[in-house]
Amino acid sequence: MWRKILFNAQNVLQQQQQTLQFKSQTVRQLAAKAAAPKPMQLEQLHIEEAIKLEPALAIYTPDIWQRAHETFQNHGLETVSFLRIVTGNPAVLKRTPERLINSLELWRACQFGEHLLHLLLTKYPELLDVSDAHQLLSLSAYLKSRLTNNKNVWKLLMNSPDLLAQPEHTIEQKLNYMFDIMRIEVPEIVKSAALSLSFEELRCRHTFLFRLGLFKPRALKADPNEPTTNNRLYQITDTSEKSFATKICHVTLPEYEAFKELFARELERKTRKPKDEDEFSDEEDA
Amino acid sequence: MLKIRNICMLQRRWKSGKRRWNVLQHKKNNCDRALESFDDFYGSVYGGRWKNMRAALLTEHKYVAMVNNFGDTEQTCSMLELDGAINIKSLIQLAREREETGTEHSLQRQQTRAHYEIDDKLGALLRKQQEREVAAIYPSAAEDGHVLPQQLNYEKNNNNNNEQEEQTGSGSKQAEFKQSLTRALEHDVQLDSSRLVDPQFGTGSLYEYVPASTIKGMEDWVAESEHYKYYQTSTDFPLIIEPEAIFQYPEHLAIYTYEMGNCAEFKPPRQCLTGVLSHFLMDGASVLPPLFLQVQPGERVLDACAAPGGKSLLMLQTLHLDQLVCNDVQESRLNKLRRVMQEYLFDYKQRWAGKRLIFSQSDARNLDEYGSYDKILVDVPCTTDRHVLMHQDNNIFKPTRIKERLRIPELQAGILANCLRLLKPGGSLVYSTCSLSPVQNDGVVHMALQKVFTEHGITARIRDLSQHTALFSDIYRFEQPKGLKYGQMVLPYLPANFGPMYFSKITRNT
Repeated sequence: MWRKILFNAQNVLQQQQQTLQFKSQTVRQLAAKAAAPKPMQLEQLHIEEAIKLEPALAIYTPDIWQRAHETFQNHGLETVSFLRIVTGNPAVLKRTPERLINSLELWRACQFGEHLLHLLLTKYPELLDVSDAHQLLSLSAYLKSRLTNNKNVWKLLMNSPDLLAQPEHTIEQKLNYMFDIMRIEVPEIVKSAALSLSFEELRCRHTFLFRLGLFKPRALKADPNEPTTNNRLYQITDTSEKSFATKICHVTLPEYEAFKELFARELERKTRKPKDEDEFSDEEDA
Repeated sequence: MLKIRNICMLQRRWKSGKRRWNVLQHKKNNCDRALESFDDFYGSVYGGRWKNMRAALLTEHKYVAMVNNFGDTEQTCSMLELDGAINIKSLIQLAREREETGTEHSLQRQQTRAHYEIDDKLGALLRKQQEREVAAIYPSAAEDGHVLPQQLNYEKNNNNNNEQEEQTGSGSKQAEFKQSLTRALEHDVQLDSSRLVDPQFGTGSLYEYVPASTIKGMEDWVAESEHYKYYQTSTDFPLIIEPEAIFQYPEHLAIYTYEMGNCAEFKPPRQCLTGVLSHFLMDGASVLPPLFLQVQPGERVLDACAAPGGKSLLMLQTLHLDQLVCNDVQESRLNKLRRVMQEYLFDYKQRWAGKRLIFSQSDARNLDEYGSYDKILVDVPCTTDRHVLMHQDNNIFKPTRIKERLRIPELQAGILANCLRLLKPGGSLVYSTCSLSPVQNDGVVHMALQKVFTEHGITARIRDLSQHTALFSDIYRFEQPKGLKYGQMVLPYLPANFGPMYFSKITRNT
């Protein structure tokens, strides 16, 4: 008897749970429907705000605004992203939809994934100016070969978008330096804006830390997962000169500035040396 | 048959370039060895400041230009001034004026320097090094419960508080000091009686068991900690430190430098009308020892280790000297010195060589014209901290030169002690090294003073130059006086990358 009552009670409970689940599902679907098919429209208010931010936009007619907005929307970029792109790069507005689609397609070919690509383009709207398909693709292929996957390439571009303007051999020089001499692994490289720095600057900062005894290159056979006492690459490269000297190296700024000057001269002398070997020198070796 | 192709083709050694780790691995050279040793030693002596010095030592150093008074002096001066260089003389003048207008706080300097923390640091370092070396050879000594082979007796330095007072030494502790490392190695070998086999109990066992006398591959082994033992803290000789009364910058000497932070270079010297070179470029800190020697007109001066000649030349440029004797050990170094003098002294053959400038080639420990010099410059051979970090050849950190390196303080103290004997009573000398090591600096001065007192009864007083080095503080970065016992030191500092240069002025008592 008791057993029956218990059983019934369990059944009732289960049914109640099922109905609850069903209800929540329908609510979610409805909400999704409400969001998805009704994209935000471009309103006059948005345009005014954008013009306030970037006065150069004032010359375009509402037709042009709507046309461009539609193009971006068709390619999955929301109004907010659109506004951000336009304020960042006003020249986008006057382009024909075909040209816009072309450059979007160009970037899509890099295979970062839609979401990541939108993030990249929203952050750096200037990237839409890229028109040389061959150069972009060969760069992204090269970076992929060095950094193992597309996600890393995307991370790198998020940190240093000016890579597109750098010739491949300078990028290679910097990457080689980081891999071979600083012995830094890929994850650390893509987290920093090291590639935005010039090669000389990168080498100077590393050499300074090295000579201070604060940067010890890891042993060749060391386990890459083993933690190091070295400063992280982003600390070394993504800092102003002053904070690099005082916070990272713990020296005064005049010392670092003097080092930069002396090191540049030392390198210049080293490159010059093979030509005139027989130089008068008086060493104080007493 | 034999194909030509087979002969001409060399087999490729590396399949995909030299990429194996042991090929890529940087081979340790003498400079690395030096750096490693410095990191260990100076890191514990100077603490956090060592890294600044390290970066400075590994970077190019800064020069000063000494104008040659035997050439077109005025033209050279104006040329250097056009380039933006400043005459050290005027800088000193400025510093003097500033000092006079300011308070006279520096005159009342504290007379007693109570306790030198450097002593404690070196004591701790010696202990650490000994323990490390013992542990390297007897890895399991502690675990097995063995007694350590050498009982380390650490002398507590309780008595360095009263260093200022005059103590007449009883000579009780001389014995341990006098022994040189070589003699200690030769004579103090203690036979381990438990391992001796007495022939009267049958010689058979002798054939079976031959006790080891040396360890193969360790014949040359000398413990690194032997080096630190040269730094003594016990004083048993009269020690007086008194401030130097006056400092006069030589009237005719023109030395040009750039201000701190300016790393510009000087133009290379050029030929003057008189056939000599216009100016001499030298490390800025090398200027100080001869300047503080304060050569007066009519004095007879010895430069005990003269090559390559910068300091000797500076003393000649003051135009005060009566006679300068330049001594060095090696013929080659002396030749280098001769060449420099020929290039910079007008009418070298007629007016200088053999008359006012005399060269002598001998070990400075063997010079024996006792009591005949007014001033002596003792710029001893040392580890030359900047040189060993930059140059591979002639590097004292070469593994085969380890004994020589560890015994450097002994050589230095020998030279300094002998030079003290060469001084006329009342004459003074400047001891200088280009090393940061307290063992080679204060340690050697201490050893030499002790040695001349116990062996020859000569007493001397140390001149405290710190008041006068303050005049140079716009140009050089000095070690604060608290860190040093007997002398002053220029530290390498990137915006003013001179030195290292330690110097200590000692006057022989009359």
